[in-house]
Amino acid sequence: MNKKVMVITGTRKGIGRYLSEYYLGKNFIVIGCSRSESDLKHEKYEHFCLDVADEKAVNKMISAISKKYGKIDYLINNAGIASMNHSLLTPLSVVEKVFKTNVFGTFVFCREAGKIMAKNKFGRIINFATIATPLKMEGESVYAASKSAIESITKILAKEFSTYNITVNAIGPTPIYTDLIKNVPKEKMDSLLNMQTINRYGEFDDISNVIDFFISDKSNFITGQVIFLGGVSY
Amino acid sequence: MEKHRIKEILNKTVNEYFESQDFNEKANEDTVLFGKESVLDSMGLVNVIIDIESRFLDEDYEISLTSEKAMSRRNSPFRTISTLADFIGEQVTENEEIDE
Repeated sequence: MNKKVMVITGTRKGIGRYLSEYYLGKNFIVIGCSRSESDLKHEKYEHFCLDVADEKAVNKMISAISKKYGKIDYLINNAGIASMNHSLLTPLSVVEKVFKTNVFGTFVFCREAGKIMAKNKFGRIINFATIATPLKMEGESVYAASKSAIESITKILAKEFSTYNITVNAIGPTPIYTDLIKNVPKEKMDSLLNMQTINRYGEFDDISNVIDFFISDKSNFITGQVIFLGGVSY
Repeated sequence: MEKHRIKEILNKTVNEYFESQDFNEKANEDTVLFGKESVLDSMGLVNVIIDIESRFLDEDYEISLTSEKAMSRRNSPFRTISTLADFIGEQVTENEEIDE
């Protein structure tokens, strides 16, 4: 099959929805997932309703893709949930929920898609980090820690998967106007933007630009990297 | 799925891996896959496991060899082709019961 097969998690809305439409526009086959149904209708889009932390459901999804298309070229682990609260007021149930979706979900998708990619000796995996980790933002200990785990997973899987010609990289976006931040007070968002080198909100195409770079055929020597937007670094 | 069919698939998959690596070995049910006596190194085992899962998927059986039980060193189901066939047999039976 010549068409590129891309799996994107968390495609019902926000960045995941944008990326689905963007790569469908590039004539990719896009397979998305989210906990609820998607209203995205496209002949080359297929949707699975699942929780990314549900190992069995993810196994089933990846098996179905493998049977139907025989390959997965690209995996974009976009699904994520945020938690912004002072640590002294954060219940453990929230910590568990954030880690389940962000860390466990990313890991299990990397593992299962990695098996299919390994068999085909090709794959590009892009995970989602956040600038909240290098900026060590107050109120985001749980979210930043979960994304910090994703950075570690990215860097170590890059080594483990390199023998199969699979690259594993991550993008660390700045805030974008999506549901994830709609409830955050404006002052908080302004102070966050001021911590960036370039003090503006990110745009969707800032993200697809970095993903285009990671999945480019010419990027086969780029792995284990985390690119932060807005000039943020450690 | 009959146990002998499971063993057949395992032997075939492991033999193909041996051939791909130019190993002068022929797989049988006593072939050691895991531990000191194994001819496979750790990455070899990973590759064989990926191939086995994929081969069963081709036969419409979704099995997962990624389990805590499978990864524990004592009595690991990966020890030989025969023990692995038992382990896979349990999963295949579970799946068949769910489908019924």
